[in-house]
Amino acid sequence: MARRRKKLEAGSWKLEAGTQQPPPPAAQAAPPPAPQGPPRNWPPVADRTLIGKSIKRLDGPDKAQGKAKYTYDIIRPGMLYGRLLGSPHAHARIKGIDLSAAEKLAGVKAVLALKDPAGEGANGKAFYQGDEIAAVAATTEDIAEDAVRLIKVEYEPLQALATAAQAMSADAPAVFPKGNVSQQSLQQEGDVEAALKSAAHIVEGTYSTQVQTHTSLETHGGICEWEGEKLTAWVSTQAVHGARDGIAGSLKIPQTNVRVITDYMGGGFGSKLGFDYQVVVCARLAKLANAPVKLMLNRKEEHLVTGNRPSAYAKVRAGVDAKGKLVAFDAETWGTGGAGAGAAFRVPYPIYVFPSRRQRHRDAYTNAGPQRAFRAPGHPQASFITEVVLDELADKLRLDPLELRMRNVLSATDPSQEDPSRQWRKYFPMGAEKIGWSKRHPTGDPASGPIKRGMGCAGNTWGGAGSRATRANCQILPDGSVLARIGTQDIGTGTRTLVAIVAAETMGLPLTGVKAEIGDTNYPFAPGSGGSVTVASVSATMRIACENARDELFAKVAPALGVEPSALAAKDGRIQVKDAPSKGMTWREACKLLGVQPISADGAFGPGLSSTGTSGVQFADVEVDIETGVTRVKRIVCVQDCGTIMDKLTAESQVYGGIIMGLGFALYENRILDRNTARMVNPNMEWYLLPGMSDIPEIDITLVDQPDRGPVGLGEPPVISTAAAVANAVANAIGVRVRKLPLSPDAILQALNEERTGGTL
Amino acid sequence: MAPKKKDEPGFSRRSFLKTVGAGGVAAGVLGPASTAEGQNVKAIGPAASPIQLNVNGKFHRLEVEPRVTLLDALRTRLNITGPKRVCDRGSCGACTVILDDRTVYSCSMLAIEAQGKVIRTAEGLTEGTVLHSVQQAFCDHDGLMCGFCTPGFVTAAVALLEKNPKPTRQEARKALDGNICRCGTYPRVLEAALNPKSAAGVKRG
Repeated sequence: MARRRKKLEAGSWKLEAGTQQPPPPAAQAAPPPAPQGPPRNWPPVADRTLIGKSIKRLDGPDKAQGKAKYTYDIIRPGMLYGRLLGSPHAHARIKGIDLSAAEKLAGVKAVLALKDPAGEGANGKAFYQGDEIAAVAATTEDIAEDAVRLIKVEYEPLQALATAAQAMSADAPAVFPKGNVSQQSLQQEGDVEAALKSAAHIVEGTYSTQVQTHTSLETHGGICEWEGEKLTAWVSTQAVHGARDGIAGSLKIPQTNVRVITDYMGGGFGSKLGFDYQVVVCARLAKLANAPVKLMLNRKEEHLVTGNRPSAYAKVRAGVDAKGKLVAFDAETWGTGGAGAGAAFRVPYPIYVFPSRRQRHRDAYTNAGPQRAFRAPGHPQASFITEVVLDELADKLRLDPLELRMRNVLSATDPSQEDPSRQWRKYFPMGAEKIGWSKRHPTGDPASGPIKRGMGCAGNTWGGAGSRATRANCQILPDGSVLARIGTQDIGTGTRTLVAIVAAETMGLPLTGVKAEIGDTNYPFAPGSGGSVTVASVSATMRIACENARDELFAKVAPALGVEPSALAAKDGRIQVKDAPSKGMTWREACKLLGVQPISADGAFGPGLSSTGTSGVQFADVEVDIETGVTRVKRIVCVQDCGTIMDKLTAESQVYGGIIMGLGFALYENRILDRNTARMVNPNMEWYLLPGMSDIPEIDITLVDQPDRGPVGLGEPPVISTAAAVANAVANAIGVRVRKLPLSPDAILQALNEERTGGTL
Repeated sequence: MAPKKKDEPGFSRRSFLKTVGAGGVAAGVLGPASTAEGQNVKAIGPAASPIQLNVNGKFHRLEVEPRVTLLDALRTRLNITGPKRVCDRGSCGACTVILDDRTVYSCSMLAIEAQGKVIRTAEGLTEGTVLHSVQQAFCDHDGLMCGFCTPGFVTAAVALLEKNPKPTRQEARKALDGNICRCGTYPRVLEAALNPKSAAGVKRG
């Protein structure tokens, strides 16, 4: 039962989160609900003491000292260690599970079968390698491992589908009950065939991107501890409230009996948005053993079962007219998110105007772990395909690809109006200037020798609006301390620090004067940290909660100062009269007036304090050795906005991080399945290649502050364009198109070889 | 690519792997002081044996099975959880500790082998409440995001600076190449490693 629920969650998350594609900026301007209470604003730019400055992370010292306790680090009294037995086969019928030997092993306290040999469908079968078969809890992790080895499972291995091509072939075995391929979806506008006929130049080709795994350093899992019917779960999650819903629903217990805590968590990138099956197993083991259990996945399981960015394939025909105006984009697309749906992506990438366009898409199901939302779902894939096609069209036109972009990039709906969420026309020239685009040679570096140099560029867009469901609480205590509480979580983005920045700014206090408390379902609801919604949701809502609390304090203080509450301001650690700052009292004196009763004020998300829609561009400067096929990225230039920058330091870090993850997607990362068995060949960190210190180019970031818009999410945008920019730079260097990712040495040598023996351009 | 190119004498991960690869296996069977010929060798295990570890300036007596790694002994027996288990096979550096004066991957070393060594983790670098200058630099330069890789990076950077207080950019890159960060903090980490505020904080333990 729990199993079925998990699969649904995994498949449907993206639609719920609405992160697949943001609606075009024009459509996002839905009328906000009527504001309740006073109009809300951020302080005028000149008065901001914290917002927009470079503020160090509050939890930096704990992290740098190794003192920060992640779920993985927590040890509860009497705690047992859980381990899972996953299917070694990518597709098998489970014919028998014998737990007896494991149960007898000294130190083993609980053993559970998670499949039923008599069960129907997914209950009696494994649909991918690592599909959970059984679980054990024991006094040490080593004993739990020993016990897992003692479980005897009889499998009947079945033919497995390793690739989208295998799933889609006419003679594929029927693996999935509803077919190996989804119904075709169709998106279209205009008459594509007629437009293509009118085109001066047409590019045709098949483009593809690989499966990327999230590879969060802290694996998925949790610690479950029962006290009677009440469950406390420490979970490595991007959504404490979502995790509570999932756990309570699966265990069929009231949500009031479940508390989820995530103090520190070691990365998720989308894979920890849905609630996790292993935490439910952990809770069941803990109940059975009558002791707290920690169950965290190992690295191999993490690669196999906790999600991935699905592959993408696109057979494209695209046309441009003689004046360099794009006319049509026609694509037949497919991809695989393993044993789950959700491999869709939208081409052409929505920042370029193709008056006629058509996309026919199918998901192919394979015997691999189901996909999950992965930092900007669908976007890096769609960006790669579209931007490479654009460069190929520019080559046919013998036009500078930057010029082609300038002629076709989306601009403000009303040309007389500046649209802050559509700034590409401004950012492309800024990036070009920084990278030295004027020195770019046409496709194919004419220099002699094996090292070829090239440049490329790409753009991106994202939504990043706040969630109206967000709530927050702010308390002012009689001793002057301030408590800002919200059930969000800091997944490495700096949310804890953000909460404190907003509270301190609103109270006119230094950062040390407030305490931010997050990562607990006992705090008011905030959405899962996905879709880059966090900064807008949390900042706006916490601002309102803090203003409400501050205004209550003003009401207490006003009579003592003989003015109306509205005449007061909280500034520099004082409550003072706006027009006569010397008339006032210190924050502490003001709070003493509360007597023994603290102020506790709630806030609900309201309009006016945040916005939606970002634009960004990236440029890459690369060197490719055409003898070895090795690409070295020399430089990345990024121009990116995110509305009002809340913390310059952590915002820049977020952009570095996105670009570096984009480099991994461009050059190194690739989940490889054996094509006969569908078992993963590289479920580790030596052969699943991630960028390391020596792979990092010079990265030049221009963060454009839009201080009047309010914050917009920044987590996802910077990861989108990197691979596309690098791919275009590689083609510019070597004169040959590599139409697939990753741009590994073998892919580059193969493309060069094909060019010598027949050509791809 | 991520594979490490650490062939400089002094802080080579490769030589570390060689040492532990050979020594670790042998020691697992024969015990730490094993010599050739099997003369006077006391076989230990598979049951738990008493060992003593010197971690962060304190001696700890504990009983571990010979198969228990230094990492697991630190984390699950001593509750020293700065070193993390991420890849569990010596390719990510999150479990890096300083052993005497060189960095090792504690996931790839047995606890019984670490006896008689001076072991330092990120927790042990702080003096009282004052952060080590490298730890402070990580905070100042935002060389951490989710922070899961940070203790490993901090120890690797400290070990580098203790040997080479003024590393070049290239030397620092090389020394930190054995650590993986998924959030992508590398540019910030490099700045932190190159710019600890006071050289005084960087001293040999």
